Amino acid sequence: MSAQKNRGKRSLQVISALVFLYLFAPILWIVVFSFNDPRGRYNLNWSSFTLQNWLHPFADKELTDAFVTSLQIAFLAVTLATVMGALMALALSKFRFRGSSAVDIFLVLPLTTPEIVLGASLLTMFIDFDWARGFVTIVIAHTLFCLSFVALTVKARISGFDWRLEEAAADLGAGPWRTFSRVTFPLILPGVFAAALLSFALSIDDYIITSFNKGQTNTMPIHIWDSYKVEFRPEVNVLASMILVVSVVLLVGSSVMSARRSR
Amino acid sequence: MSNHARRPAPNTRAGVSNVTRRRFIGRSGVALGGLALGPSFLAACGSDEETLDSGSGSGDVTQDTKSLYFASWPAYIDEETVALFEKDTGIKFNYTEEYNDNNEYFAKIQPLLSKGRAIDPDIIAPTFWMAGRLIGLDWVQKLPLDKIPNASNLNDNLVDPTWDPTGEYTLPWQSGFAGIAYNLETTGRELTSMDDLWAPEFKGKIGVLSEMRDTLGLIAKSLDIDISKPTAKSLQPALDLLAEKVDSGQIRSFTGNDYMDDLSSGSFAACIGWSGDIAQLSLDNPNAKFAIPESGGTLWSDTMVIPTGADGVDAAAEFMNYVYDPVNAARIAAFVQYVSPVKGVQDELRKMGGDSAALADNVLLFPSEESSKNLSSFGQLSDEDEAALDAAFSKIQGN
Amino acid sequence: MAGEGRKNGRFVPWALLSPGGLFLALFFLVPVWALARIALSTKPSRFEDPAFAWDFSNFGTALSDYGGQFGRSFLYAGLATLFAFIIGYPLAYSIAAYGGKWKDLLIGLVVIPFFTSFLIRTIAWTSILGPQSVVTDAFRGLPLVGDDFNFIGNMWSVVGGLTYNFLPFMILPIYVALEKIDFRLTEAAGDLYATPVAGFWRVIFPLSLPGVFAGSLLVFIPAAGDFINTRFLGTPKTSVIGSVVQDQFLVQLNYPVAAALSLFLMAIITVAVLIYSKLFGTEGLAA
Repeated sequence: MSAQKNRGKRSLQVISALVFLYLFAPILWIVVFSFNDPRGRYNLNWSSFTLQNWLHPFADKELTDAFVTSLQIAFLAVTLATVMGALMALALSKFRFRGSSAVDIFLVLPLTTPEIVLGASLLTMFIDFDWARGFVTIVIAHTLFCLSFVALTVKARISGFDWRLEEAAADLGAGPWRTFSRVTFPLILPGVFAAALLSFALSIDDYIITSFNKGQTNTMPIHIWDSYKVEFRPEVNVLASMILVVSVVLLVGSSVMSARRSR
Repeated sequence: MSNHARRPAPNTRAGVSNVTRRRFIGRSGVALGGLALGPSFLAACGSDEETLDSGSGSGDVTQDTKSLYFASWPAYIDEETVALFEKDTGIKFNYTEEYNDNNEYFAKIQPLLSKGRAIDPDIIAPTFWMAGRLIGLDWVQKLPLDKIPNASNLNDNLVDPTWDPTGEYTLPWQSGFAGIAYNLETTGRELTSMDDLWAPEFKGKIGVLSEMRDTLGLIAKSLDIDISKPTAKSLQPALDLLAEKVDSGQIRSFTGNDYMDDLSSGSFAACIGWSGDIAQLSLDNPNAKFAIPESGGTLWSDTMVIPTGADGVDAAAEFMNYVYDPVNAARIAAFVQYVSPVKGVQDELRKMGGDSAALADNVLLFPSEESSKNLSSFGQLSDEDEAALDAAFSKIQGN
Repeated sequence: MAGEGRKNGRFVPWALLSPGGLFLALFFLVPVWALARIALSTKPSRFEDPAFAWDFSNFGTALSDYGGQFGRSFLYAGLATLFAFIIGYPLAYSIAAYGGKWKDLLIGLVVIPFFTSFLIRTIAWTSILGPQSVVTDAFRGLPLVGDDFNFIGNMWSVVGGLTYNFLPFMILPIYVALEKIDFRLTEAAGDLYATPVAGFWRVIFPLSLPGVFAGSLLVFIPAAGDFINTRFLGTPKTSVIGSVVQDQFLVQLNYPVAAALSLFLMAIITVAVLIYSKLFGTEGLAA
């Protein structure tokens, strides 16, 4: 029995490694080409190795500005969407109330809307409200499409919870805030964390909706797509690799910290 | 010749536009007007546009002579020229690269201009056919040519073009041409005519542009159709040939500028592509070649126009005058590497020496007399023909 | 087993819902309302604003001309969802069951590749799987695979692109559902059932269903409206409804038909999701 289980574990681990390879295959290409020194404006063919791109990653001012803007927008949109979405997921999973299935459908609808339609409709609305298009409208748009992703992901986490745990805490004298922070929140945290990761990925890579609602502000995907018509610079690879490296470092750091804490 | 009448522009005067707005939004607009957070809240974040007073032309708009906003295409100007312009004129110059697709940009400005509201930029850079459309819709204003003496430096073959027969609304920014872009290593031979694209060994390895006028134009020319006076009917044989090649799988896909990496990798053996792109790509991949087909290539121009209601008309005029000075035009051409519309640029490039002088001999920037005879512009289409062709072309793309 | 909340809990769910709900009401419902009006409008000419006219003909046009694209959209999205499930579930399970204290890092690594731009990833893939690449050559050497085999330019490349780009949206929800399981249950199950596999199917898998459900929605729904994968990896014969909406909106400037198509797409997907959730047997739309 144990041998069978071990074989099962082994094969699962092999499969997982392969899937990770699949996930990271393009990343390897991106990182490798960040060390390329292209002769022209297109970083598509290997020419020669250079460290210059990494030494001066912010040489392209517009790309860097767009990069920073993207991060700021993602941070805001992810925070807003995660908070609002988690609250909605809590409401829908924990309570039975009239209209909950309508809200369920309501949550799914933004996902079903084609991006161009959502982008253009938002634009028209912003124009009619006389709202300047720029940073704020991009954040609004990103929060909008992340909200449904968050709510569904957190719901997948919460479903089947035994909410009597909360009642037990209350019986033991814990106030609502303590109950939430000590009992509820830690339980939903992995769901919230996963939802935040997905939202970040959605926000950092959005093109169409952003394009319509950005006014003069530029985000990284907009810059990359638009400039691709005339150039594809290695700095793009460098900045993309940077995001990856920093994210991995943050994750490792938080894993190490929580591993220490749980000891 | 061209069916290019100036139609009275609907819905651009405030009286009519208000009615349209109301019908467009319905009650929701009124109900939510109560959310007066709108203007005051977000005005603090920096306003993006102005609203025209009713019935305004440029004369009624308060002019700002100290700043200029030019919405243009990526990599279409060098930083030095931007800085020098600011220094020489004292005008604060905001040059953005937000104009990256004619249709996308049109969709963004349509909600404003159709309601008689101004957009922010003082100059935008629509491709010639879009400029023609904007002129017809009255969404652009006449250039103050008396303030642009250097406009006389415009190349003769671009004076009073088909999209702007009186020459009062546009000045070309850069030109280029479309032809056959191919990967020499993949094809194994030089390509010289459109028929080469249909060779059986290239099945599934041919790409064409989603830019209708370039793709249909090249195919039409290979069928001996005159594209200077196009109609939906006259172009039907070209549409049929295109549809046949898509159906058989000869043509794999329609691309925007993104054919580059597929061409470079050999995923495309050949495409319909643009001269300037290959000029750049060939530096990284010497196998990337460009050829004007024997039956001829299509010439296009991106233009400068001043939208209705712009507040920087004089500043715009100064800029246009500035870039039509051959010295400045040469500096721009050295960077952009497309076809400059200004006379005398070739000589200026030679004077600059070095790499720039070499560009003076580059046929992609300065096509020979012989090649030039083979290049022609796609003529203006009537609105009906344009709609019909756009629809038919989209159908072939699978839409 | 959902709790009934405390006595004054009647307002609590609505209080929790209100920030997100109001946000959606303002920034989603209002535009969709405008969209519905446009769908019922006619355009006097190509460049003018649409005028509301209770015109239902746009819906007729939408239905009659684009059946092929609708069908392909759902086919590709469905296949992508299936493949994402097959590829993604084992990984989600591995991380949840064997990840230990590195779970967070591992699950983060699943999403991190997608912090890059779609364009760059696609360029990278077309390089890796291009016609002159080592990988493609190896494939062509396989029996039954022709010499002119290409990864790109067919239905499977589109499905492949969809699968790859939506994979994290399948993996993460499954993971969060699995992660709360105490895997000592598998040992107990293993003792009760003949094989670990049976133990998995009878005990673990059902507990992960909410995650599978959420994951399939988060893949299928956006994939059905996607057009960017077919634009880069497909041909005109693999066109999908997203491309049509894009084209009708931007090129043909036919806002009423674009709006009608979008509403159709939204309605069909919503109905499909409702049926799916009934079949899934979960309570409410997503347990």
